Amino acid sequence: MDNFELICPAGTPAALRAAVDAGADAVYLGFRDETNARNFPGLNFTRQDVADAVDYAHARRVEVYVAINTYPQAGNLGPWRKAVDDAARLKVDAVILADPGLLDYAAKRHPDLRLHLSVQASAANVEAIRLYREAFGVRRVVLPRVLTVPEIARLNAEIDIETEVFVFGGLCPMAEGRCSLSSYATGLSPNKQGVCSPANHVRYEQRGGALASTLGGFTINVFGEGEQAGYPTLCKGRFVAGEGPAYLFEEPTSLNAMDLLPELKAAGVRALKIEGRQRGKAYIAAVVRAYREALETFAAGRPVPHIDLQAMVEGGTQTTGAYTRAWR
Amino acid sequence: MRDPDAAQTVSVCNSPAGERARRFETGLSRAGLGLVPRLGRRASDALLARLLRLLADCHPRAFEALREMPDARVLIEPVDAPVALLMRVGPEMSLHALPRGADGVGEALGKAGADAVVRGPYDKLLDLLEGRIDGDALFFRRELSISGDTALILALRNTLDGEDEMDLVADAASIAGPLARALPVLRRNAGPVLDRIDAARRLLPPPLRRGIERLEARLGGTAGTPPGGLPGKLPGMGA
Ligand code: SF4
Repeated sequence: MDNFELICPAGTPAALRAAVDAGADAVYLGFRDETNARNFPGLNFTRQDVADAVDYAHARRVEVYVAINTYPQAGNLGPWRKAVDDAARLKVDAVILADPGLLDYAAKRHPDLRLHLSVQASAANVEAIRLYREAFGVRRVVLPRVLTVPEIARLNAEIDIETEVFVFGGLCPMAEGRCSLSSYATGLSPNKQGVCSPANHVRYEQRGGALASTLGGFTINVFGEGEQAGYPTLCKGRFVAGEGPAYLFEEPTSLNAMDLLPELKAAGVRALKIEGRQRGKAYIAAVVRAYREALETFAAGRPVPHIDLQAMVEGGTQTTGAYTRAWR
Repeated sequence: MRDPDAAQTVSVCNSPAGERARRFETGLSRAGLGLVPRLGRRASDALLARLLRLLADCHPRAFEALREMPDARVLIEPVDAPVALLMRVGPEMSLHALPRGADGVGEALGKAGADAVVRGPYDKLLDLLEGRIDGDALFFRRELSISGDTALILALRNTLDGEDEMDLVADAASIAGPLARALPVLRRNAGPVLDRIDAARRLLPPPLRRGIERLEARLGGTAGTPPGGLPGKLPGMGA
C-alpha cells in the first residue's frame, strides 16, 4: 500500500529544517510578501532562503512547494507573476496557486512547473476540479475543510487528479478564499493581503484574571481565568446574541484527523497537510514527528497510535471538523 | 520522495537527567541575571551590550532583521525573576536590565515605556527565546501573556524562531571566560549530580532542609513570592 505523503509547513528556514528532519515528504512555504496567505511580520522566505531550502530538502529527498495563493490585486499583477517565475527558477517541486489568471500564466510560461490548486480556491466539486485540470493542467487539489469523508470519497471516485487534505492545525470553518470577516473588521483579508486578523489590528488586554482579545477595536473574546485562549479570528469569536455570550460559528479549536487515517485512505486521499506556517519550529517538529510515526504505523498495518498533541492546539480542544459532521 | 534514512533527531534534553540539568542551568542563569543590576547601571549596560554583540556575531541573520525593524521597545518580564529586560529593536538596538519592584517594573521603566510586553515564567521565556518551545502553545495555555503592539511581538518571535536553536545560556557564559569552559562539563554531569544531591537532601532534618531552600531562593533573587509570580526556588535544586 502506498503511504500518504506528509506535507508540512515552514514559516522560517529553521522551521523548514525542523520539518525535514522530523519526517516531512514535502514542505510548503511562502515568499516574504503579500503573495501568500501567511503574510505575517518576521515570517517567510527571501529568494535566497528558498534556494537554500531547496538545497537542504532535496539533499534529503524532500520536496519544496511554494504557496502563491492570494489573489493578485487588479492592475498590480507584477509581484504574483514574479513569485511564480522565481519559484520556477529556484527549481521548487510545485507551486500552490488559487487565482485562475495566475494559473493560466504559470501554465503557459512554465509548462514543466507542477501546479497544485490551493485550498484558497475552494474547489469542492467535480466540475470545478475538472475545469482546473483541463484548463491549466493542475496535478493536485487541496480540498477545502468543508467536506465530509464520504463526500471526499465520492469526489475522488470521479476525478483523476490527486487530492490533499488538511489533517492538523488551525481551522478555517468557512469556504476558503471566500471569507471576508477579517476584511470587515480590519480592511485586510487572507485572500488579498495574506492575513486573517492581522497582528497590527490585534490587542490583548488583561481584565482582572480574564484575558480579552480585540481585533480592529472589536472585542472578539474574553477568556475567563484559567480558560484556554485562542487567536482573535472572527469565526471563533464569542459574541453576545440573544441569551448571552456564545460561539456563533466555531469554537477556538484545532483540527486533528489522526484517527481518520483509515477512512481518508479508503476515500482515496493522496496527501495529508499540516497547517501552521505561522507557528514556531518546536510546534512543527512535534507535530510532524507525531504524524510521521502515525503514518509509519498505519502503513505497517498496525492500529494508529494515540499521540498526544493536546499541548499544541488552539483553545485546548481538538476536532475532526467537517470530516465527521454534516454541519456547514 | 523522502529519504527513509534522513535524520530524525529534533528535540533536546528529553532524558530525565537532561531535563534536570536544564532546570539547573535555567536557575543558575536566572540567578546570574538577578545580579546584573547590582553592578550599577553603567556596568550592567556595558555587560548586556557585550552579550548583544556576541549574540549578533553568532546569529547574524536574525540580528540584521532585528536592526531593520522600526525603532521599538519590548519588555520581557519574567514573573519569577528579580529583573526584567528591556530590548530595543531597530537601528539603535540595545538591552537593559530593570529591577522588578513590588509592582513589577512599572517605576523602573519610567518615561521610556515599552511598546509591547511579554510576561511569563523565566524558564518558559528562556525556552521561547531559544526556540525550544512554541510561543502560540504557551499563549493558548495562558502561561505567557502579551500586551501592547502584537505585531512587534510577532515579528520578534518569528525572527528569533527562524534561527536554529539558540543557546543563550552558553552564549551568556562565554562572556564570563572560565564559566564557558566549565559549562560543557556542568551540562554533562549536572543531572546525575543533582539527583544525588536531592537524595542526600531528603535525609536532612526538616529545619535544615528549609534553611537550604531559603538560601536557594535568596541566591535566585526570588525570596518570598514575587508579584504575580511563583514561589521562589532555584529550579532543579529541590524536589
Ligand atoms: S475569519 Fe475564520 S474562516 Fe475567515 S479566513 Fe479567518 S480563520 Fe478563516
